[in-house]
Amino acid sequence: MSGNAVVKGASYVLVHAPDFVINYGTTQTVERIVNPDSDYLKALNSSIRSYEQVLAYPPNQVYLGNLTPKDLEDFEFPWYDKQVADAKRFGKFGELMPEDEFIALMQICDAFDLVVLEENFVAKTKEKLTKHPLITESMLSKLKDGQSLEAIKEYISEYNAEPLYFEREIVGYVKRAHEIDVNLSAEVLLENLAYKASGVLALLHLINNSGIDREAVDYVIDCSEEACGDMNQRGGGNFAKAQAEMVGLINATGSDTRSFCAGPAHAIIEASALVKSGTFDNVVVFAGGAVAKLGMNGKDHVKKNIPILEDVMGGFAVLISKNDGVNPEINLDIVGRHTIGTGSSPQAVISSLVTDPLDRAGLRITDIDKFAAEMQNPDITKPAGAGDVPEANYKMIAALGVKRGELERADILNFVKNHGMKGWAPTQGHIPSGVPYLGFAREEILEGRIKKAMIIGKGSLFLGRMTNLFDGVSFVLQENSKEAQTEDLKVSVKEVIEPLIGIVAEDSELGKDNVLEAISLAENKGYRAILIEGEEAHKKMDEMLRRKEIDAAVTMNYSFPIGVSTVGRVITPGRGREMFIATTTGTSATDRAEAMVKNAIYGIIAAKASGVKEPTIGIANIDGARQAEKALRELQQKGYDIKFAESARKDGGVVMRGNDLLAGTADVMVMDSLTGNLMIKLFSAFTTGGSYESVGYGYGPGIGEGYDKIVLIVSRASGAPVIAGAIEYATQLVKNNCLKLAADEFAKANRSGLKQILDGLKERKTAATEEEVKPPAKEIVTVEIPGIEIMDIEDAAKTLWAEGIYAETGMGCTGPVVLVSEANEAKAIEILTKAGYIN
Amino acid sequence: MDLENQKRVKEFAEKFGPENVVVVLGAGEGEAAGLAAETVTAGDPTFAGPLAGVSLGLKVYHICEPELKVEIDEAVYDEQISMMEMVLDVDDIVNEMTAIREQYTKY
Repeated sequence: MSGNAVVKGASYVLVHAPDFVINYGTTQTVERIVNPDSDYLKALNSSIRSYEQVLAYPPNQVYLGNLTPKDLEDFEFPWYDKQVADAKRFGKFGELMPEDEFIALMQICDAFDLVVLEENFVAKTKEKLTKHPLITESMLSKLKDGQSLEAIKEYISEYNAEPLYFEREIVGYVKRAHEIDVNLSAEVLLENLAYKASGVLALLHLINNSGIDREAVDYVIDCSEEACGDMNQRGGGNFAKAQAEMVGLINATGSDTRSFCAGPAHAIIEASALVKSGTFDNVVVFAGGAVAKLGMNGKDHVKKNIPILEDVMGGFAVLISKNDGVNPEINLDIVGRHTIGTGSSPQAVISSLVTDPLDRAGLRITDIDKFAAEMQNPDITKPAGAGDVPEANYKMIAALGVKRGELERADILNFVKNHGMKGWAPTQGHIPSGVPYLGFAREEILEGRIKKAMIIGKGSLFLGRMTNLFDGVSFVLQENSKEAQTEDLKVSVKEVIEPLIGIVAEDSELGKDNVLEAISLAENKGYRAILIEGEEAHKKMDEMLRRKEIDAAVTMNYSFPIGVSTVGRVITPGRGREMFIATTTGTSATDRAEAMVKNAIYGIIAAKASGVKEPTIGIANIDGARQAEKALRELQQKGYDIKFAESARKDGGVVMRGNDLLAGTADVMVMDSLTGNLMIKLFSAFTTGGSYESVGYGYGPGIGEGYDKIVLIVSRASGAPVIAGAIEYATQLVKNNCLKLAADEFAKANRSGLKQILDGLKERKTAATEEEVKPPAKEIVTVEIPGIEIMDIEDAAKTLWAEGIYAETGMGCTGPVVLVSEANEAKAIEILTKAGYIN
Repeated sequence: MDLENQKRVKEFAEKFGPENVVVVLGAGEGEAAGLAAETVTAGDPTFAGPLAGVSLGLKVYHICEPELKVEIDEAVYDEQISMMEMVLDVDDIVNEMTAIREQYTKY
């Protein structure tokens, strides 16, 4: 089985949030209601750790990736009084963000003006955030000017806003978004905005760590335990999109997946399935942190004279991508799941999550190098009476192994040591649930230190009071089998599939048989083509191109936009050489010299895409040739690589005479498209008396900057050999990736100042006559008005603009056309007739 | 012990009579088992729940204690509990439980 999705990158972030602990952790808010004078509340302030202490706390440095889980074993337990000597804010996985910067990030992530900050605080924090390597200018621009402290305090007391604190002082507030709806209360919005901001931070680091192009992410899955919505849709959701929007994942959609702490493991399995099925290539699974859980076990910590250790919000993000033959795979054949019928005894749970899937895959417990179940930091849970959660899980897995006869009872502790890890994750529900190890697991597998890791997510569904069921899923991350790659390779070796060329030939003067003959000629040479027939064949052809059902098309007429013209390819009679005629139909520009400069580049593209490595350029001796030559030489001087041909005539030069045309002196012969059209007809039909084009490759592909289709033109008089030639020409263009080659060539020309050179040519002519006419609002234009001189086409469109009619220009079947909407057709014809553009 | 469970234990004791109720615990270690046992005998030591100041003095056992184990079908015990029995520090749990029972259980 191949094609498993891979883990391509991961990020882990923490947010130092002491003021959120004090004011918004539920243990503290409940205590304030139930027991406002309690000793706990009094001791709270003195139990808070500073940023530096939190940073140097060993488990946190592991979470950020500055230490490994193994390093944690070197610190004697408990850890709260131990410090990492060279603790760093940024690690290979993420960062520990200070609270003030985080509050500013909340405002950046606020789309509804709900967060208001104090003016001095904004000024100071903005300066700090400016230095943040991942916060962009556009994010910073969302920070608003602050208000006075007085105004802030007044608003809080008058409108039940929730104050935001930094270093125990008010620095702003979060407004409520509804007067009655508790789902939009200030408190809920504060939690949700903090959640959103911490998730955004995780996304920023993931993009940075994995190097993925933001536009390449197809889907995002938020897998936290938070909810957003209003009273009519309390869990309406899509935190995922809200967060992805902030970091510019513009091509992604997404959704939220929930299952208490098991959410992340579910989401990763879903993401892997989406990728493996081919639905998406890149899926991000991620979550921010929970304000409510801050200081959850604070009472026990304070009672035991331990600082409050639940003082950070956590966040993570994982990139699940198409198999690249390198990164570790998520093996979807080994998925464990706690089913509704499983039961809730620990034994049943662990069997369903660990041994059942391994049994199905024929593996033993000891075949898994590392297990990661709930990676809660025992420093936090032990004083609270919850024990060492990871250790308890490892012991359970080992005990199951003993029961199954895979381990000796005496080996339990060894198993725990070798196949387990010390927990390092903050107790933020979904955050510790298996996923904190994914980043390390990916590295350890890539480095060959382990082969297989099992990630286990478990969730306590009873907390929602809807069921007493337990929940959990597990999956295995393993070394890349490289099968996907070899399989791809096999395909490419076994059957190289020729591109498929679609043909529309409704207007052929030579009949359908001529076209069928052409197809069979082409097929004899190993090419593939299909005839597209019926009404609206052109529309069908466009649709097929769009859906990539055909790779290129050959047709007898086509509306290319202005700026695109076709490069024909002929066999010259003198020496039987191939020559490109740039160009033969279409309009590169309405100015002849400008058009010829562009045509030269189009010709170079077509020649290169047909396998001519360094095509030589000649300019036909027609009006505008000298100007075009001057411009092309300037372009060459500025760095664009052009090889000029030498005329075969005695006096040489790049300007080509009629003799050179017949001899094929240049690989690319540049001329305007009307001249080119004459030429190609002569070159194709000179042996037959004119009614049947028998030689060459036809009028060629439409080329222009940004044009993204390969459509080639033949004529109504093109005989079967020419149409077959066009199929061959099209096949070569597809195989040599003509569109990419064109984009590269235009980029090179633009870097050498093509635009300025063309503007220089234009100014000469139009400076005096051009009057700036702005186009009216764009609308869909479907009606073609033909019969306008090519040189007047732009002016005709502008004449319509001046009358308030939106118009575009293009090439219709019979020549240049102006396109307008159906509603404007009659009026446009009237205006154009009156102005003398049409008769 | 969470507040909801305290409430249920209190209601059962009232409904069936405290002498007819046995509380079975499944806590993962001695200290937690002891705290829960204390709650249903002497009263909630954290003074947060319905059993704060209420000394029910109920009979209370951990599922891994021998007194309870003999009451359970061996096959069921093997299927449901034996794995955890291997994992837990049963001696510690038994000590904690015994101490609480000796001190506070009235029945």
